[in-house]
Parts: sequence; C-alpha cells; structure tokens
Amino acid sequence: MKYSMLLVALLSSSTLFAQEVIQVIPVQENKVEMLSSQVKALEAKLGEYSEHSHSQTNDNEPLLEKNDTMLISVVGQGVAPMNTASPAQAYALAKRAATADAYRLIAEKVKGVRVDGQDVIKNMMVKRSTVRTSVNAMVRNANVVETTFKEGLCEVEMEIKLAYSQFAQ
Amino acid sequence: MRSRDGNKASLLAVCSIIFFLSSALQAAEYLVSYRYVIKDMILYNDSFLISPAMKKCNGTPQRSLDLILKGEDNLMQLVSNNNEAFRKFIEKIGLEIDHKEKTTNFQNSSSTIITMKTSCFKVDFNDNFAKISHLK
Repeated sequence: MKYSMLLVALLSSSTLFAQEVIQVIPVQENKVEMLSSQVKALEAKLGEYSEHSHSQTNDNEPLLEKNDTMLISVVGQGVAPMNTASPAQAYALAKRAATADAYRLIAEKVKGVRVDGQDVIKNMMVKRSTVRTSVNAMVRNANVVETTFKEGLCEVEMEIKLAYSQFAQ
Repeated sequence: MRSRDGNKASLLAVCSIIFFLSSALQAAEYLVSYRYVIKDMILYNDSFLISPAMKKCNGTPQRSLDLILKGEDNLMQLVSNNNEAFRKFIEKIGLEIDHKEKTTNFQNSSSTIITMKTSCFKVDFNDNFAKISHLK
C-alpha cells in the first residue's frame, strides 16, 4: 500500500513536471516570435531612417555625378568707400569688392570653410565669444551674370560651371 | 657660277623682307602679378605688377586676349588703357582667394586677399591690335 502511494505520488509529480515542460515550450516560442518581430520592426525603422537620412543629404548637398555638370550661382555684395572722387569711382570700387565677395562665396560653396570657435567663460558668464572662419581656394572660369548698384551697395551675381572631369583623378 | 652682284641683290631682298616683317610684328614677354585687398566689404588696395621678362619664359600660349592698339608699345600702357578687359581676362585664368573673418561678441570683421601669382604673358604687337597670350 505504501509503495502504491509512493508510486502515485511519483506519477503525479512527473505529470506535473511534464505539464510544466509543455507549458514552458510555447512560452519560449512566443518569446522567439516576439523577438523576431521586434528585430523586423527595428530593421524596418533602420531602413526608413537610412532612406530618410540619404534623402536629406541629397537635398542639402547635391552630388556631382559622372559625366555631369553643376551650376553654382552666388550673389556677392560690396560697399563703396566714403571718400570717393566721383560716383563712377564709387561704383567701380564697390563692384570690385562685390566681385571679390562673390569669389569668396564660390570658394566657400565648392571647397568649404574652416571654422574655429572660442568662448571664454568666467564665473558662469560668457566674457568673450570669438568665431574665426577662413577660406583658401583658387577659382577660375567664373562668370559675372548681373551687376546691380543701389544706395551705395553693389551686388554681383556670379556663376561657375563645375564638371566631374575637373575633379576626377 | 653666279656673279657677286646677283648674290648681293638677293641678300638685300631677304634683309628687306625681314626688316618689313619685324616692323609689322613685334613680340615681347612680360611677367604679371595682380593683387587686391578688401577689408570689411571695402576695396583697399588694387595693384598690377608688370615687368618685362629678363629671360625667355617656358610654356605654350593658353588663352589669349586681343586689344585694339591706340599708340601703346608696351604692356604697361596697354593694361592702363584697357584695365577692365585685362582684369576680366585674368579672372578667367584663375585667381587665388584668401579670406579671413572674425566675429567677436557678435561684431564681425573680414579681410579678403585676391591674388594672381606671377605669370608670364606673351604680347604680339601688330599694326593695329595686340594679342596677349598667357603662357603655361
């Protein structure tokens, strides 16, 4: 009788374990499914993000494709000095300054700008804030499209055509 | 055998042709540099430096500019009378831009130096026009 009771107890305990095992397996499968779905969702999000970022870079920085040309247009500004002999001289000097500004803008667009910044903070207050920018480039084949002179300010519209072959090595 | 008088006549003819051609076409080479400075959007300094070349320049003519002569016999006079056209020609050849800008406490100051490094130009003076070619 004792042995039979012990046998029944063992059987019941084994069935209990078996049920637990049966119950555990679907949970693990569910977890795997959940994880795989999460991974898929993340992959989809990543794909969307990369597409979005790629489209953003395309919007901001147009790329010069092979066998392609790109037209860059800028407007430079120049001011006539105060002590000029005649309005004609003022116009000529302002135009020269505006042309130089347009060259600078082209150089900035094509080659880029070096920017250095420095802030001095004392007792939690900004004492001095300095930003230095510099451009160093060589520009050739730029064309002046239009020149306007109004109220001492001269504006020169300048454009340059870039070809892929100019940069190919 | 030819006579000495016959040789002399042909020699004179050749010399006269050479003299005639040399009076019609005179070529010279010049070294030119150009620089102008702009500070705070205002032109400060604008200078052409032109000098006849002391020795022959190496290079082949690249771009050229034709200018009508009004009695000029050297590049200095030619440039002073046709300043704008020569400047546009130089801009096509290429200019170096050196720009610096400083903003301190939201107050901006800038300086731009535009230069053309010393380059050799060949100038052909013809009867009524001059051809300026950039040698490279």
